[in-house]
Parts: sequence; structure tokens; C-alpha cells
Amino acid sequence: MRINGAAVAGIAAAFAIALVWSAPLLWMLVASLRPDSYGALDIASLWPSGPLSFENFREAFESGDFLVCYLNTLIVVAGTLGVQLVTVSLAGYAFARLRFPGRDLVFYLFLLQLMIVPPVLIVPNFKTVTALGIHDTLWAVMAPYWASAFGTFLMRQAFKSIPRDFEDAAAIDGCNVIQLLRYVLLPIAKPALIAFSIVSVVAHWNEFLWPLMAIDSPGKRTLTLGLATFVSGAEGAAEWGLIAAGTLIVSLPLLAGFVVFQRQFVNSFVFSGIK
Amino acid sequence: MTTAALSSLRGSRRAGTRLGEWDRRARPLLLLLPSLLCLGAFTYWPIASVVVDSFFGRRLGEKVASFAGIGNYLRLATDGKFEAAALNNLVYAVLTVVPSVALALAFALLLQRSTRFTAVLRALLFFPTMIPLIGAAALWTFLFLPTVGLIDYYIGRLVPLSINWLGDPDTALMALSIVTVWKNAGYYMLFYIAALQAVPGELVEAAILDGAGAWQRLRHVILPQIAPTTAFVAVIALIQSVTAVDHVIVMTHGGPNDATNLLLFYVFQTATELHDSGKAAAATVVTLAILLLVSGFGMRAFERGAAHAD
Amino acid sequence: MTRMTRLKLAAVALAAALASSVAASAATKIDFYFPVPVQGALATEMARLVKEFNEKHPEVEVTAAYTGSYDDTRLKTQAAIEAGKPPAVALMSANFVQEFVIAGQIVPVDDLLAENGGDPKTFLDDFWPALRGNATANGLIYAIPFQNSTPLVYINVDHFKAAGLDPEKPPATWAEFVAAAEKLTVREGDRITRYGFEMPGSYDYLGWLTQSFAMSNGGQFFNVSMPGEVYYDQPSTRGAVQLLHDLVFTHKAMPQGVIDPNQVSTDFFAGKASMVMLSTGSLSFIRKGAKFPYTVAFVPRNLRNAVPIGGGSLIFFKGITPEQRKAAWVFASWMTSAETLGSWSRFTGYFAPRKSSYDLPEMKSFVAEHPDALIAVKQLEFAQPWLSTYNVVAVRKAIEDEVQAVISGKKQPAEAVRDAQRNADEILKPYNEKIAHVTVF
Repeated sequence: MRINGAAVAGIAAAFAIALVWSAPLLWMLVASLRPDSYGALDIASLWPSGPLSFENFREAFESGDFLVCYLNTLIVVAGTLGVQLVTVSLAGYAFARLRFPGRDLVFYLFLLQLMIVPPVLIVPNFKTVTALGIHDTLWAVMAPYWASAFGTFLMRQAFKSIPRDFEDAAAIDGCNVIQLLRYVLLPIAKPALIAFSIVSVVAHWNEFLWPLMAIDSPGKRTLTLGLATFVSGAEGAAEWGLIAAGTLIVSLPLLAGFVVFQRQFVNSFVFSGIK
Repeated sequence: MTTAALSSLRGSRRAGTRLGEWDRRARPLLLLLPSLLCLGAFTYWPIASVVVDSFFGRRLGEKVASFAGIGNYLRLATDGKFEAAALNNLVYAVLTVVPSVALALAFALLLQRSTRFTAVLRALLFFPTMIPLIGAAALWTFLFLPTVGLIDYYIGRLVPLSINWLGDPDTALMALSIVTVWKNAGYYMLFYIAALQAVPGELVEAAILDGAGAWQRLRHVILPQIAPTTAFVAVIALIQSVTAVDHVIVMTHGGPNDATNLLLFYVFQTATELHDSGKAAAATVVTLAILLLVSGFGMRAFERGAAHAD
Repeated sequence: MTRMTRLKLAAVALAAALASSVAASAATKIDFYFPVPVQGALATEMARLVKEFNEKHPEVEVTAAYTGSYDDTRLKTQAAIEAGKPPAVALMSANFVQEFVIAGQIVPVDDLLAENGGDPKTFLDDFWPALRGNATANGLIYAIPFQNSTPLVYINVDHFKAAGLDPEKPPATWAEFVAAAEKLTVREGDRITRYGFEMPGSYDYLGWLTQSFAMSNGGQFFNVSMPGEVYYDQPSTRGAVQLLHDLVFTHKAMPQGVIDPNQVSTDFFAGKASMVMLSTGSLSFIRKGAKFPYTVAFVPRNLRNAVPIGGGSLIFFKGITPEQRKAAWVFASWMTSAETLGSWSRFTGYFAPRKSSYDLPEMKSFVAEHPDALIAVKQLEFAQPWLSTYNVVAVRKAIEDEVQAVISGKKQPAEAVRDAQRNADEILKPYNEKIAHVTVF
């Protein structure tokens, strides 16, 4: 490998950019560990000054009610993913292997959901969940996402790339579709399932607008809703250290998950783009 | 493992094939039913219902909606706020899509080789994607604070800045764009990295042998090869620019003076604060139409790009 | 003691224990939504207050939920009502009460008052007169004031002295105010390093402060008796907006653009703004954070001293059970007792809505120690009701958006107030047509 000046300069540039890019997150880390002093002019300093303390986290956790929010978010994320795995496997298989009249039309109908995402439909969807009687429940937060066009297409691709021999053998043995999926196809398509799961978890952990419309009770807030409320109160007291701590509390699991499973994460996001 | 599974299934013979015709015909429907039910309830039905609702109106304090004909659309057309929202969204789309895609490509070009060092840098660039847009909004609100905030604290010392990022109608939209670009560029970078790694090495080598410099290689070999990815990323970024308004809600609330009003925020505000359900529905319909148009163009471009690459 | 007796005693003890636990679990549960609209650690203090109430009154269990700003609390409460699950009581911005009355969503408390030995006719006598307008509608009491404020000018005494101004005689008229602001502004070449005056330009705050200036200019700003009328395109309002415009562009003593309230207080603390206009609700926050001598002053007058009140009141919603309503009343009575109002006032800087709070010994000594609190109360003499109309947030934003445009240099005051009036009238149309008995919508 030839080492040329351009390559070195490129790496140096990338390094500098990454550093600047990380400044906000670095501030979040430093400020959250700095005992608060509102009105202080050095709140923006990226150098840790003075003793590090977890005081901000303790206070944020208490006053922000984040424990409840964590519970709600976990329920939403798991509940959404659980149902999605079923619907996308079934639908993905149908598109991958079955031929039926109107298949292309249905395919485009699915495609619609990729663009017309639930946040755009907050006005009619709010009406729907109210009419169904599930407004202000976590069901309402999950329900619009139980079908996933994105997941369906992902599984379709995954299934298509599995050689037909496996299914032919299974057919001879008299498997029905469910058994076929469960014992043959899904185990092979595991990477796609993992990829989809990661994208789904991240997307629903971080969702804000639709939960904002669907949830009223403070006891049912998800992490994003809790953070928004928490920040608006803490901004009033100019407690930026608290705000930094709160943001870190909400983002930590995903950030940590990413650091540990970096390759999985990156692959799944890339996977998700490849048609 | 699969053969083991298969042999374990040998015992459970099911007369699936005997039901024959009906079973085979019904199977696609049954498999698609769960998804279609959900899509029907939360995508197709809402679209239809919001179109119908846009011809009715219900204001604050009323219990029943009354027919309004195209009244809502007329009111929309004469509403300065809607005009502002539409125009702003256009500007915002350009301000976010172009830099995100350009930066994503630049990052990918710099970091396409997978070494441990580049893995770390890629991770740093990708981190913002992991935190919720609300979280990014909270952080950047501080960063943008005049005098005390991070930007003024560090850069303000070198250059006499005194930009009230979020409070000045001239800079507020740009400030929000910066947040969006910061959050998404790392994500788009991943697509470009995969695409760059898939560029056939022979093409690049042939170009080098032909005496093409780095810039020419980029323009004439690499960019055309990754054109489908560019179209794809651009479409995603465009859709994002219409559908993600979390930061508008918590940072500027559409202000100052509608400088950061965007289509979806307009819908949100009209429905929840102004309680004007007819107008909100009409605005939703317009937004949907724009989204469909954008996606349509995007698909076309993607297909053209894919054809080009071959 | 025989075995029988011991068993009987044990049974009685067990029964008593069960009975008390049943009684405890029979506590009526009610939800209480509250906002934190000003700077300070109010959310934590409110939580502490509610906890104290729950301990003192075991028959009621209040679950307090912090719901953001005044605007957010209104949204969340409206949503809860529409979903059929309203809270029992909420602390609502005083000027939103009218809207809830129009929509038929809240209930008056006259009957509860009468039941509990009070007299609806004299109940509000103990409250400052300026608060009564926003607390009643159609002759009935719909809201009990809990925290109230007026705009107040906070002054950096050191800056005043250095500029040759007398902090004991703060600017009382617009002319004096502008002159002072100009004198206090410090320039280094082209850059302004210290502004003579700063005020928040954010939603809710800006409308309130604009109303102060319009009223000090002799204007009514809105029709107190009729929630469909606002007076934006009037000389009084126009003059107020012109004042703000001139402060920014002619006298260059106020920064351009919309400033966040936190920015204002931060700049005040940092010595980058000599005079700021904020709520009296931030008095404690300022007192704690200012490391220099400061004083407070009335909002300057042009034609008269007049300021709108601000603050929040407790309101009670339809759609809750009679037990919950009684429980809510017990809670509200405790919260709005002279003692509680007094201690909340001392903690926050809001003034206590009850006159009797100021007769209590703790309050007397507090006010003696903190003359700034006294000045805030003195301005009450000139306080008027807060802008309260049909669809008030939208109507308020109609003027706010325009004033934001003016102080950002995008519009001239004349055009701004004209546009504000036009937009506000459009928003008020449904209500006005109903009143005018027009059947077409």
C-alpha cells in the first residue's frame, strides 16, 4: 500500500472532522458530570473542571421520572418488534415465493408505507386510535407500526436469496408454511432478522411525534416524551448540566449497544439500504 | 442443522397438498392479512379519511363537523403561515439534503478503508444517529445559546460572532438544518461506504492506467457507479426533511415569526393548538401529495441511476 | 388473660389493622396537572408541596404531573379532556380560564364553596382585585388564583451608578426609560458589549410584555367583557410596538431578534444587560443568581401605570366523579390557604394572591428583609386582567409573530399591528359569528 501525502491528509482531515462532529456529545458527557451552577459562564467548557459528580444524574432520574419512561419505552420497543417479526416474515415470504394475481399492486401498496410514514398521518391516526378506544395507551403507540413495508422488503430479499432446494425438500416432507418459515427459512435468514430488529429498536426508541399525539398521561410517557418535558422544565432554571444528564440517560442504552455491537449495527443499517 | 430440522419434520405429515386449490389460493392472502390489516387501519384508511375530512370543518368548542367544500383549501391558500411553511420546507430540504449527501460522500471517501482507526472515526460520525432528534435538539439548544453556548464560547472568542441562531428569523432555519445534517450525515455515510466498496476495482485501476487523476476518477468512474446510492440517500433525506419536525416543536416552535414553520409542523400546530381540524386535514393532504411527488421522482431517479451504473 | 381473651384481642387488632388499611386504600385518587412557566426549581418544590398535602390528608391521594409550560399544560389538558380522561384539577394559566368556560369543560366552585361554609359572594374579597377578572365568568367563580405575577424591571445597581443614574429613582416614564437604556449601553467600536435593556421575545412572554406596554400607553388591549375582541390595530398598541422597534433600531439599546428568557437572565447575571424585564415570578431566581446589588422597578408608563397580571389558577374539570370533585376541593383549599400561598410566594417570587397572606408574620418579616418583594406587590395597584379570549393562544400568537418580525427588523410597527389585527380577527371569527347570531360558518 503506497502511503501518499493525500491519503495522510485525508485521514487527518477525517480525524479533525470527527472531533468537531463529536463536540456536542463530548459536551453532553462533560456537562452531565459537572455539578451544576446555573448562570455560570463556563458551562460550555469541554474541559472537565473540578470534581466529577453524578449529582446531575441522580437529580435528573428523580425529577424526570425516567424509570417509568424506561419501562414504557421498553414495552413499546419490544411490543412493536415482536409483532413486526411475525408480520414481516409472513408477508416477506408471500412476496418472495408466491405468485398471485395483483401481486405487483399489493407490492406498491406496501411501498406506500415507506413514504407515507405514520408521523405524517397524525391527524387521521389520532382520530382512529380515539375511535378504537386505545388513545393514551401504549397500544396506540405501537399499532401503526405493526406492519412494516421496510421489514417486508428486507425479508423478501433475504428469502429470495435462499436456494429453493430447502423449500422443495420441506414440501416433500409435507411442511406447512408456518413450519417452513420457523424451522427452515427464518434460521437461514437470521442476519436479515437481526438487521431489521436493530433498525426497528433504534427507530422506535427515538420516536417522538406520534407518541406525543398518542399519549397524554404522564405515567405512560416514553423516554423521548419524558426528555422533552424534562428539558422544558430544566431550561427554565438554566440547569444545563441537568439537561445534559437527562439526554445522556435517554440515549445511553442505544449508544452503549452501538459501541458493543458496532459491526452488527453498521451492517444492519447498510443492509437495510440495499434493495 | 437444516437437514436435522427437515428430518424431524418427517414425522409430522400434514395433508396440506390435499386441500389443494383453495389452500394455495388463500395462502397469499392469509400471509399478507396481518400486514394488510395494519396497513389498512393506519395507512390507507387514514389517507382516505383525511381527504374526506379536508372538506369538512370543526372549530374550537364545536362538537360536530360541518361541510366546508373547498373552503379549507381556500383558507390554506390564503394563509401566510402555510405559505411560509411550504416555502421554508423547500429551503430546508435543500439546506439539509445537499450538505448531508455531500458530507456523507466525503466521509465515506475518506474512511472507505476498513481499519481499526477508520472504524473509530466512523463510529464517532455515526453516534448522532443513535440519539433521538429530541436529544439532539436539547443539546443544540445549548450550543446555539448566545454568549454562554458552546459555539459562542469557543468560536466566539476567535471571531466576533454575535449570532442569535435560534432567535433571528434569518438564521433560525439554518440552525435547524445544521442539527439535522449533524444527525444524519453519519447514517448516510454508511450507505456510501458499502457502495464504494462495491465499485469494481478494475474500473478504478483502468482509469488510473489511463492517467486519470483523483478528481477525474471521482467524477467519471466512482460517482456514476454509486449513482443509485446517491439517489437513494437523496430520497431518504428528502422524505426526512418533510417528516421529521421534532426539533421544530421543542427548539423554535415554528418561530421566530414563522421562520421555522414547516409543513408537518403547520399540520401539528393547526390541529393541536388552533383546533382547526378541517384546515389541518387539508394541509395534511397537500403534504401527502408533495411526499408522493418527491418519492415518485426519487424512484425514477433511482431507477435511472441503477440503469446507468450497469 | 385466658387464651380466649387473647385470641379475641388478636382478632380485634387484626380487624382494626385491616380496617385502617382499607380506609387508607379508600383514599380518593385525583390527578393534578401543573406547569412551570418561570425560571427556578419550581417543579421540585411543587412535588414537595403535593407530598406534604398527601401526608396531611390521607383521605386524598394527589398524583401531580408536571406538564411543561403554560401552553403545553393547556394542550395536554385539552387532549385529556377530549380523550374522556380529564385530570380533577389543573394549575392553568389565568388567561386560559375563559376558553375552558366557553368550551364548557370546567365547572364553577360556587356550590363547593357554599357546601363548605364559604360564601361565593365574598370569597374573592381576600384576593387582590386585579385577579378577579380572570377568575370569574358569567358571575361564577371558575378559578382560584394560586400564583400571580406582573412584569417587573430588574436593574443592575452598579451599572446605574456608573452611568450616573440614581438606582433609588428608576426610570418611571417611557422617555426616562429610553434615555436610561441608551446611557447604559456600552459600545466597543462597532460592537455592543452591554445592552441597556433586554426582554424575552419568546411565545407567551412576548405577548404579555407587549400587553404591558400597550396598557401603559393607555390601551385596553382586549375587551374584558367580550372574548371576541382585541385591540391590536390601535394607536396605543402601535405605540408600544414602535417603542420596542425604536429601542432596537433607533436607540440601539436592545438586541435585535427574539431572545429566550434564559438568555435574558443569563445576560443579566453576566452583566451584559443592565435592565431586564421579567416576571415577578422569577424574583427568587434572580435574587439567588445575581452576584451584584440589584433593584426592581415598575414597568414605565407613557399615559398611565398599568400592567397585566400573569400567573396561574386552579381550575376543576367536568367529567370526574363527585368524590373526586370533593377531593379536588380539599386539595385546592389547602393549596390556596393563606399559609401555603405565602410560602409558595416566598419560594418563587410570585406574589401571594391572598391579601391575608401578607398579614402573616412569616410574610411580614420576609418582606421587611426583601424590599424587592414589596415593590412587586405595590405594582398590583395598577394591575389589570390578562389577555383572555376565545382561542387565546392563537390570538396571542397573532400579535407575537408580528412583534417578533418588528424586533427582527422584518416589518414596521404600523404594518405589523394591522396584520396582527387581521389575523386575530380571522381566528376570532367563529366565536364572533356565533355571538352575532350568524348561522353560517
